[in-house]
Amino acid sequence: MAQGIDAGPEDANFKVASSPANAQKQPPPESPKSIKTRGFVILSFWAVVLLLGLPVWLWTTSIHRARLPLQHMLDWADGKTCKPTFPLQITIEAPFLQEPEAAHLVRMTQHALDDLNEFSAHHLRLRLAKSFLSRDFQNASMTSIEDEYAIGPLTQFGNTDGLDEEALTVRLQPQPGAQTARAELQSHSTRLDVFYVSHQSPSVSSSSSTLATFIATKLQELFAEEQAIVAYILQSAQTMGHAPQISSSASSASREFRSRSHRSLNPELAARLDSRMTRSLKYAPTYHITVSLFTPSAAPSSWEIELALAEYFTPLLDSISGVSNFTVDTQVQLYATFSPSVHSPEYDAEQQIWTLREEDLSGFINAAEWPLSPSIGAGPTLNFVLYVPDRSTSPLVVRGSQASSWLIPQWGGVVILNPQNANATLNEATLLKESIQPALLTFSHQLLSFLGAPQTPPSLPLQLQTLTRIRAASLLLSASSTMGSLAWVTVALPSIAIPETVSSAVDTTLGHLRSTCEALKEGRFKDALENARIAEIQAEKGFFEKSMVGQVYFPDEHKVAVYLPLLGPVGVPLVMSALKELRRLWASRKAGQPG
Amino acid sequence: MKHISCLLLSLLLGLLVSADPKYKELLNLQPLNPASLLASFNFKSNASLQSYEQQHFKYIPRSLGQILQHAKTRELHLRFSTGRWDDESWGARPWGGTKEGGTGVELWAWVEGDSDADSFARWVTLNNALSGLFCASLNFIDSTRSTRPRMTFEPASSVFNASSENLYLLHGSLPREVVCTENLTPFLKLLPCKGKAGIASLLDGHKLFDASWQSMAIDVRSVCPENGSECSIEMEQTVDMVLDVDRSKRPRDNPIPRPIPSEHLQCDQSKPYAGDEACYPSDANLGQSWTLAEIFGRPIQGSCLAEDSYGQLRDSVCINVPHEREVNLYGDAVETKNEAGTSRCFAIPASNPFELVLSHIGPQTFNKVSQPPLYASRSFTGHGQERGGVQTLLTNPSTSSSIQFVYFETLPWFMKPYLHTLTARLTTASTTSPDIIEETFYRPALDRRRGTQLELLISVPADSAVILTYDFDKAILRYTEYPPDANRGFDVAPAVIRLLPSSGNSSSNSQAPLYIRTSSLLLPLPTPDFSMPYNVIILTSTVMALAFGMIFNLLVRRFVGADEVEGWNLAALKAKARGRVAVLVDRVSGKGQKLEKTVQ
Repeated sequence: MAQGIDAGPEDANFKVASSPANAQKQPPPESPKSIKTRGFVILSFWAVVLLLGLPVWLWTTSIHRARLPLQHMLDWADGKTCKPTFPLQITIEAPFLQEPEAAHLVRMTQHALDDLNEFSAHHLRLRLAKSFLSRDFQNASMTSIEDEYAIGPLTQFGNTDGLDEEALTVRLQPQPGAQTARAELQSHSTRLDVFYVSHQSPSVSSSSSTLATFIATKLQELFAEEQAIVAYILQSAQTMGHAPQISSSASSASREFRSRSHRSLNPELAARLDSRMTRSLKYAPTYHITVSLFTPSAAPSSWEIELALAEYFTPLLDSISGVSNFTVDTQVQLYATFSPSVHSPEYDAEQQIWTLREEDLSGFINAAEWPLSPSIGAGPTLNFVLYVPDRSTSPLVVRGSQASSWLIPQWGGVVILNPQNANATLNEATLLKESIQPALLTFSHQLLSFLGAPQTPPSLPLQLQTLTRIRAASLLLSASSTMGSLAWVTVALPSIAIPETVSSAVDTTLGHLRSTCEALKEGRFKDALENARIAEIQAEKGFFEKSMVGQVYFPDEHKVAVYLPLLGPVGVPLVMSALKELRRLWASRKAGQPG
Repeated sequence: MKHISCLLLSLLLGLLVSADPKYKELLNLQPLNPASLLASFNFKSNASLQSYEQQHFKYIPRSLGQILQHAKTRELHLRFSTGRWDDESWGARPWGGTKEGGTGVELWAWVEGDSDADSFARWVTLNNALSGLFCASLNFIDSTRSTRPRMTFEPASSVFNASSENLYLLHGSLPREVVCTENLTPFLKLLPCKGKAGIASLLDGHKLFDASWQSMAIDVRSVCPENGSECSIEMEQTVDMVLDVDRSKRPRDNPIPRPIPSEHLQCDQSKPYAGDEACYPSDANLGQSWTLAEIFGRPIQGSCLAEDSYGQLRDSVCINVPHEREVNLYGDAVETKNEAGTSRCFAIPASNPFELVLSHIGPQTFNKVSQPPLYASRSFTGHGQERGGVQTLLTNPSTSSSIQFVYFETLPWFMKPYLHTLTARLTTASTTSPDIIEETFYRPALDRRRGTQLELLISVPADSAVILTYDFDKAILRYTEYPPDANRGFDVAPAVIRLLPSSGNSSSNSQAPLYIRTSSLLLPLPTPDFSMPYNVIILTSTVMALAFGMIFNLLVRRFVGADEVEGWNLAALKAKARGRVAVLVDRVSGKGQKLEKTVQ
């Protein structure tokens, strides 16, 4: 400063000349008290900003995020918490065998089964029928044998009563005169009749028996498909569950599990199961079924669907009502045309048929015009479409395979109903129930495959049991993976609010998942399904919480626009004064130290 | 004997069936003087109540049926309308006004419920579902737009007694809704033949929404015959439109009207200035000669389910012109003329296209239009941003009998009427006459929760007009409550007028009710500048920053005398800046030289 003044001597001279008395007047030195006061003023301003302003700002702009048990949720998604097992109880009735013999046979069959089974999560446990035991006089010794097999692998769960649902009853009956043993599955009950040649029944001392091996093979055959499906479900859950991995510890346990399940699935089977699983619908407690009649002209305009349904369709629905409920509605739609993207049927003069191209089947349903909207109410809708082609373009079939029905995965099935012969009275105004029958039977098959029921064994009750187990397993896994996704979303999006309802839904889900897992281990599959169902519903409820999904979009530009007019003019003097004060303090300390 | 009785029984059954066909449709064409055409499409579907409840749908569409069952709605009336019915020249309304709605969308339904809240929840469900089905903003019918009329609507179903079966009537309207093609498409999808056959093949969005007035209606009700046979559910879909014949006849690819060449111009010779030089074009003689294809763009594509159980064809098209007019047909249809000499109907076979020509040959006469029983017009009065008024003119044209009716209005909550200013007076009298309004039902508005509901029982003496007025205040809305394009104004739903049968003859109690709707009103509200929040933020911030800066400086700055300040030494600054610039220049030129060197 002094330099600057010295640099302009002319100016200074001029100034001096004009007002010589005022030149170079210095302000009086500041008192230390006022300097101190100023320091305190600045300090107190900053104190207000930091202790009051900042907390209030943080508090008013914060988002409520309920606490979630993130680690537990991730563990469930990774399959660390629960490894579902499926112990199936099979009772063996051998009324014509001596007790030691029977017990020995059971033991040997069990050994044979264990040897055959490669997939340990799903295993069959044999035991002798209780009625048979009570009839016996040597009760005590038998109980010990039974315990050996029933409790053996499950000691941690206390007692055999856990396995109260028996999957299958094997009834051994001697058949004199036959050369080989033979097994027969009752198609309307859970009983397998085994007819054996009397000399095949093993003596207590023998270490191997053809009958035991025979029974074991038969049982293994019966449950092979179920095992494959369960293995497939567990495996796909493992591979998919790891997609949103944030906890980097890809659990070694699950990896080991995956490799193990891989071993039991050959790629061919896996591909087949894959297509079947993508075809089947997600489990729901209620399904709506819509049976629709479509025709490109005005006829047939009515059908005896009520009678036909009652006769050919409702019995099936009644028998599977234990798994899910079904509502059925029907409709008739006239003048239903193909969508313009589909090639119109072409005439094959050789075979005198009209053909649809196979690649057009996916566009066969004219979604824009055909009123096939989902039914109102909870639960997915299955559409079964009966298409009656115009008389001028019938018979109408798919080119190549000459099929007249096909499935649309997770949506429904289509059947083209062609008249039996050209002169048939099919295209009259009313479709009789006899002519609907084949279509309804096709729909029944399609329905079962939509539900994910296995094709073997041929006994319907067994299929339904299998369905229960498969559904429980897939629900358990889907709810777990939903938990994982929720945890992932929570971590990945720090700006979304998490209301308390989500937290409570997560708690309920985890609780029910735990009981599902226990019920599966104890073989209570119906309980497991019930719990898994609640877990799934709660998990979905938590994940799709409205207030969480619809987060307020408040872009940064808006924040700047709102904050800057206030914070700019207020902040600059505050910061500048603080800097000045700090510089002064630093200078004074520097000056003080040497002095 | 047994055989004969069986035969008789089956004959009887057949008769019953044919007496109540499951589906029928009828198009009524009514040329209106001078150059308009009223086309009324009516589609009626029936199903037994049992099959409906078991969800076996045939002619009642599944989509609508399921919605009604889900929302436990017993009777539904849905209306989509645009335009204004010109009752001065078109006369009385079709269907006695029962099949029309106010401008926009109007909906009323009888909903089952245990309580008001219960029925309202179902009403909301119904609106949401219908909104999806008809691509209309019906989901915006919330508590502020819903009312429970007391006197205006009566159930059309014959089965129920509204009070005993816990049925609640709810009414809602959306006057702002623009009805367009996206509403017609789902409407047509509900028909059994989907607009591909029958009279529905004439319905085309381009023509329908080009009409001077149009109304689409859906009515679902249950009917129990008095003879005790099975109850049925009946769905009636109606489309009424008044087409301007000249406008409709313009080709679609060349829709711009062009002047008629002078040699084709028909002059109105009755004008005093008529002569060779001046011509007043007369539209009376342009007249009504048209074909269906000219008016609707295509002929009728056969008929839809027109055969009854005996194979007899039902009439599907009727045209209301005097018998002396020439009507030509293309296509084999069966013509029947009515005895009164005013209309003829045609039964069309299923497959062939049908074309009808109203010829220009012969006398160009029309059927006489009937006089409407009441003229009603409503308008706003008042000025300014704060206060306004509503004035309704109700004219009874009848010279002999007085008329009694229910006047029903719903006002949005931001329009706050003063009931003490509600007055009714005869146009001839200067003071109010207390005996005009016989009954008043008034439910005041609650801010943001419900609108005003006003139902008045009014009687107008013969050959006189009544002016009904009241004043209201305009509320100021919150920033977020303004719709997009708030400066356009807010639509106020049309008033609904239900004409009561005159008390003189008791036999007319059974006659169909008559309805009239006024046009909707556009209410301008004080509208803020919508950049306001940011302006407020910035202004407040500036004031706060100014205040803060002043106080802060007062506290922190040291004050010294003016002569004690170390002034800005301009020359020194200049020298300093010059030095900096010189250094920079040096550096740049030095670099340049270096660069040159490296290049060389």
